[in-house]
Amino acid sequence: MAPVVSVEALRKRYRRRDPWAVDGVTFALEPGQAFGLLGPNGSGKTSVVKMIAGLLRPDGGAISLFGSRPGDPAARAQLGFAPEDPDFPKFLRAREVLDYFASLLGLDEDDRKRRIPETLAFAGLDQEKRQVRQFSKGMKQRLGIAQAILGRPKLLILDEPTADLDPLGRRDVRALIESLKDSGVAVLLNSHLLSEVELVCDTVAILAKGRVLKEGTMAEVVPEGRTLEDVFVELVQASAPPKHDNLPSFITDKENQ
Amino acid sequence: MRGTLAVARYTLLDLSRRRILLVFFIIGALGIALIGTALKLFSSTFTGGAFSGPSGTTPDPANVNRFLDLMFVTDLVGALGLFALLIAFGIGMTAIYHDLESGAAVAIFSKPVSRLAFTGGKVSAAAAALIVIVGLLSLEAMLFGLLFGGGLEQTLAIEAVAQVANALTLMLIVLALSTWMNNIVAAIVAFIYNAAGGVVVALHNSLASSVNFGDSAILKDGINVLYWLVPHQLTSDAPRELVKAEIQLFAVPGQPGPDLNQALAAVPGPSGANDIIWWAFVVLVMATLVYIAVRRRQV
Repeated sequence: MAPVVSVEALRKRYRRRDPWAVDGVTFALEPGQAFGLLGPNGSGKTSVVKMIAGLLRPDGGAISLFGSRPGDPAARAQLGFAPEDPDFPKFLRAREVLDYFASLLGLDEDDRKRRIPETLAFAGLDQEKRQVRQFSKGMKQRLGIAQAILGRPKLLILDEPTADLDPLGRRDVRALIESLKDSGVAVLLNSHLLSEVELVCDTVAILAKGRVLKEGTMAEVVPEGRTLEDVFVELVQASAPPKHDNLPSFITDKENQ
Repeated sequence: MRGTLAVARYTLLDLSRRRILLVFFIIGALGIALIGTALKLFSSTFTGGAFSGPSGTTPDPANVNRFLDLMFVTDLVGALGLFALLIAFGIGMTAIYHDLESGAAVAIFSKPVSRLAFTGGKVSAAAAALIVIVGLLSLEAMLFGLLFGGGLEQTLAIEAVAQVANALTLMLIVLALSTWMNNIVAAIVAFIYNAAGGVVVALHNSLASSVNFGDSAILKDGINVLYWLVPHQLTSDAPRELVKAEIQLFAVPGQPGPDLNQALAAVPGPSGANDIIWWAFVVLVMATLVYIAVRRRQV
C-alpha cells in the first residue's frame, strides 16, 4: 500500500547559528494508520507536522504527501490540519469560518449545507453566535479540529488536539480518531498525553532534540509490563544531560516552610 | 480564482466588522457634513459686498461666488483626502497583518489555496473596502455640493478619484510593510515615506518651474532621481482653478495683475499620463512586494 505521507532525513533549523530543530527524521504513514509523534517541549514535533502541511520549508530531506510536494494544492486538498493553539480571522463567527474554509476546499453548495452544520454540532459550536475573538482557547481548539475534518481528509494531522479540551472533548476526539482510522484515514497525532496516544495509536516515534530516539509499533516500543510513559521518560532522560533535583531552593528548603 | 474570491469575501466581512474603520467612517462623514455646512453658512453670510480688493475696489459678486464655491470644494476634498488617508492606514494595518500574526494563516495555508490567490484576495478586499468607504464619503461631499447650489460635481468627482488613488497607494505601502514588520512600525514608516514623497514632488515641481534652485546641477539631478523613487500624488485641476479664481477676484480693473503662470507654478497641476502610469507602476510594485512577503512567510 502506498504511503499517504513519507518523510525522509528531514532537517530544519530556524537560524543558521541555531541547533537543528529537526535532524534526520524519517517515517511513513499508511492509510488507516494512526501514528503518534511524541517528545518533550522543543523536540521538533510541531516543526515536522508544519513541514508536512507545507507551512515551513525544510532545510534538508524529502517529504512526499500523496505522492506530491507538500506545497501542491491538490495534495493539501486531501489533508486536514488542526494546529496547536489555533486561531482564525477574529471578527468571523464559527459558521462563517467553516464556510470560508469550505470555499477554500472547493466544496459545493450541497456539501456545505450538509457538512457545516454537522461539523459544528460535532464541535459543540452549533449554537455559538459570538465572533471568534470572544472564543475561549478550548472553543478555538474545537473549531480547529472542525475545520480540519471539514474536507473529509485522507490524512488528518492533529497537533496537541486535546491540550485545551475538557474530558468530554477529549473523549470525542478519541472517538473521531477511531472512526477515521476505521474508514481508512491516516492520522498523525502530536501529543504530550501519553495515555491518550497509547489508546489510539498503532505506531509511535519518540523524538528529542529533533531526532527520532525510537520508532515502531506500540508493541515494539513498549515492552510487556511497562507503560509508554516509562519508555518515554527513560529515552528522553538518556538523551539529555544528567539533571539533578532542580526544584527552586525556596520550595525545598525546610526552614522557609 | 476560487481561493482569491473566498479570501476576498471573508476579508471584506472581517474588515466590515472592525470598529476602527467604522469610527473613521463616522468621523469622516460627520467631518464632511460639518465642513460643508460651515462653509456654506460662511459663504451665504459674506457675499460679494463683504469682500474688497486692492484700493477699495469691490469685486464682481459672480467672481466671489465662484471663488467661494471653489474654496468649498477644495476644503471638502481636503477633508476627504485626510479621512481617506486615515482609512487607508486602518485597512493597511489590519487586512493581512492579523492573519499572519495571529496564527489564522496556519489554518488557511494548510488548505488548498496558493499564496498568490491569498495575496490577490487580501489586496482586492482591502482595495474594495477603501474604494467603498471613500466612495461613500465622496458621495456625501457631492450631495452637500448639490444641496447648496451644485455645479462643481465634476471637479469634485475627479478630485475624489485622485484622492482614492492616493489613498490606495498609501494603503498598499502599509500593507506591504506590515507583511515584513510590526503593523504600527509599518504605519509610521509609510507615513514618513509618504510625507517625504510629498516634499520631493513639491521640490520637483518647483524645479520644473525654475524657481528657487539657481544653477545647482547636482541638486537638480538629486531631486530628479528622488522624484522617481517616491509615489506621485495624483491631483485634479481644482487647486489651480482656485488660485486662478482668487487672482481674478482681486484683480484691479485697468491695472496689470500678477503673472498668472508664476503664481500657478507653486500649485500642483492636474496629473498627466506619466503620473498615472507611475501610480499604476507603484501599485503593482507594492502588490508584488506583498506577494513576495506572503510567499516567503513560514507560519
